[in-house]
Amino acid sequence: MYKWFLAWRYLHTKLIAFFGIASVMLCVAMVLVVMSVMGGFLDTIRERSRGLHSEIVLESGTLQGFPFYEEFQKYLETHHEDVVSVTTPVIYTYGIFRVPATTYTRPARVVGMRLKEYTQVNDFKHGLHYEHYFPGTTHLGMQRMPLGGVDAQQKLVLPADLEAANARWRAEESDAKQLADYAAHPYEIVMYPPSVVLPIQGERVYAFGDEGPGYVGPEKSGVIIGCDLLNERRPDGNFNRHLARGADIALTLMPMSPTGNVTGEPPVRLPLRYVDDSRTGIFEIDDLCIYVDLDMLQHKLAMDPQPLADGGMTSARVNQLLVGLRAGNDLEVSKAVVAAAWEKFLLSLGDQLSMADERALSFVDVMTWEDLQRPFIAAVEKEKVLVTLLFSLISLVAIVLVGCVFYMIVEKKTRDIGILKAIGASAQGVAGLFVVYATAVGVCGAILGILLGSVFVWNINDIQAFLASLNPQLRVWSPEVYSFDKIPEIVKTWDAVGIAVVAVLASVVGSFIPAAIAGRIWPVDALRYE
Amino acid sequence: MLRADDLHKTYVMGKATINVLSGASISAEKGEFLVILGSSGSGKSTLLHLLGALDIPDRGDVSFQGQSVFHRSRQSREDYRNREVGFVFQFYHLLPELTVLENVIIPRLIGTPALKWLSHRREAKKEAQMMLERVGLSHRVKHRPNELSGGERQRVAMARALINKPTLLLADEPTGNLDEKIGAEILSLLNEFNDAGQTVIMVTHDVRVAACAHRQVRLTGGKIESVVPTRPSPALA
Ligand SMILES: Nc1ncnc2c1ncn2[C@@H]1O[C@H](COP(=O)(O)OP(=O)(O)OP(=O)(O)O)[C@@H](O)[C@H]1O
Ligand SMILES: [Mg+2]
Repeated sequence: MYKWFLAWRYLHTKLIAFFGIASVMLCVAMVLVVMSVMGGFLDTIRERSRGLHSEIVLESGTLQGFPFYEEFQKYLETHHEDVVSVTTPVIYTYGIFRVPATTYTRPARVVGMRLKEYTQVNDFKHGLHYEHYFPGTTHLGMQRMPLGGVDAQQKLVLPADLEAANARWRAEESDAKQLADYAAHPYEIVMYPPSVVLPIQGERVYAFGDEGPGYVGPEKSGVIIGCDLLNERRPDGNFNRHLARGADIALTLMPMSPTGNVTGEPPVRLPLRYVDDSRTGIFEIDDLCIYVDLDMLQHKLAMDPQPLADGGMTSARVNQLLVGLRAGNDLEVSKAVVAAAWEKFLLSLGDQLSMADERALSFVDVMTWEDLQRPFIAAVEKEKVLVTLLFSLISLVAIVLVGCVFYMIVEKKTRDIGILKAIGASAQGVAGLFVVYATAVGVCGAILGILLGSVFVWNINDIQAFLASLNPQLRVWSPEVYSFDKIPEIVKTWDAVGIAVVAVLASVVGSFIPAAIAGRIWPVDALRYE
Repeated sequence: MLRADDLHKTYVMGKATINVLSGASISAEKGEFLVILGSSGSGKSTLLHLLGALDIPDRGDVSFQGQSVFHRSRQSREDYRNREVGFVFQFYHLLPELTVLENVIIPRLIGTPALKWLSHRREAKKEAQMMLERVGLSHRVKHRPNELSGGERQRVAMARALINKPTLLLADEPTGNLDEKIGAEILSLLNEFNDAGQTVIMVTHDVRVAACAHRQVRLTGGKIESVVPTRPSPALA
């Protein structure tokens, strides 16, 4: 009993206890912040990865793609309607991306897709910028350039269909902040190149041409461009868009034969129109990918059916088949179903396959989105473990510090320990006193640390904004590096509980040696101190 | 009631060995007021610590109520220190973080299991208060030791030593640090307790202080030498 009583007394009369509490608190807060941020980072990556492709992906690891995907789509439709909701083919290739107006040139990963189907199997649509403010206006088909400007009241006026789309969005948007954002920067959202409309007084405000708002230029196929490939990211995570919607883009591609031979013909040049930009939230993708219409791309790459010398036709090829599942289907089970279906489908193709087709089909794997992103997620997972481990090691300092604090207390309290023993306290009792004391220090430190850490994590973005306002160099979370605009700010209860428990245990362990020393103090020796 | 037989205690300091006690024997009867006299460094404190089981002799034994103090378990020796003996030190040795009342209560707290304490708390508090009243400090219960004078601290120490109603009160120069007047007050308190039946063994080097005892013994050369009856002891009468 006296253990608790004295531990309590020492806790609030001894300044040194506060050093112990403070060190435990800081370590707990530190580890909690690291775990929360890294854990949040991991969760976001997972979430984004899930929305990147589709639940199940058939992918050929080789660039020339694989044939008979349409037949397999039909096969899934007829045999596995209960599992599969949508399937959509995708082509991947590489090309050179060029903005003729500025001569800006970049390598690009070109994704051929059917936008309507593609957005049904993943979250691609949420990352589209113009589609967000002008719903229903982004498509990859043939289109001209929209032209707008400001009227006499300095109000932005766009072609009628865009105005209507925007009005639709405004009517449906419930987030006041988004509406305010749009109202504050409409010219940033729809900015027209000075070559087309005239700037007034050097501001980013433009005048009409002679005809008023409408569409100009020849019809070209649309292209969606990864946001980081084209735009300049501002420190606040938004973008400066220097290219107007509808601007000309040139893409150079190299077609490939079914065996992967680059054909002898000159590279294919595609004139395109910039219709939107896409943000998946993963920088590596947003900095590299551009999206065009599947059928157009397939044709240009000669991946559509080609005549054979013997009079037949080759089968069309794609690189991926995305398979969306109906709600309620287990991912792994569905994967097994699709994989089995694929095996069966291959058998049904029989002997009619050419050597090249057989080869190409042998490259196809059935994967879940997790399989596909595993290397990426695993890397971040490892990073989380590593960083947490590192900081936990640093937190060993807390144990040592608690040990030191207690050793100092035992030193200072030698006489008192002698007194306690002289009036009948046992060795275990005195040792126990310090263990109880350490537990109390650990518990206080852990609770305060959890509070401090949580408050820090909850406000981490504000803290960073504040630091960045003092000195831009202090901005540690760069969207370029971490692909997210915001630092994750969620504290998981079980993380907090786990850290607190470990911290208390660590404090107790840290007190063992001093406690043992205290237990062994001999009353007469101690009482000689005066 | 208390017998110490042939106690030996040697301290080794580097090459030198100091024979502090070499065959000291002493006994005290119930209700007696015994004073151990001796010059400074003669080993009085050492002897008293052995009697109170704060230290272990190299040879010899102390028996209390017919039972050996040193040939028993550590726990029972702790109980002996807690229940049978009350110790008053020259330098008071109060716990500075605790109030006067808490200092007095602490031996009771140590000797009571946690669960029992909950029901026992009030009673213990009341007894401590009474104890403090007897030493004349009932008005200072909430104070910290460093707010008290030396004499007051020694009274608190006495109250603490007596809270568990020990059979034996051991006092190591309780007046050594006090002026004559305050020392006399402490002595008269000791006498008062002794008159009420408390066995007291006190150590001093001051012959005048020793005068209040029933019996005086002198420690020289590590042995108890002369036994001088001062006034008739109730035990001998
Ligand atoms: N732990 C120890 N280590 C070494 N020597 C010790 C130790 N304890 C006591 N001594 C020595 O033993 C001798 C007796 O000490 P003790 O304290 O018993 O004397 P004392 O009679 O009480 O003296 P005083 O009147 O000054 O209090 C002294 O010479 C002291 O130096
Ligand atoms: Mg002494």
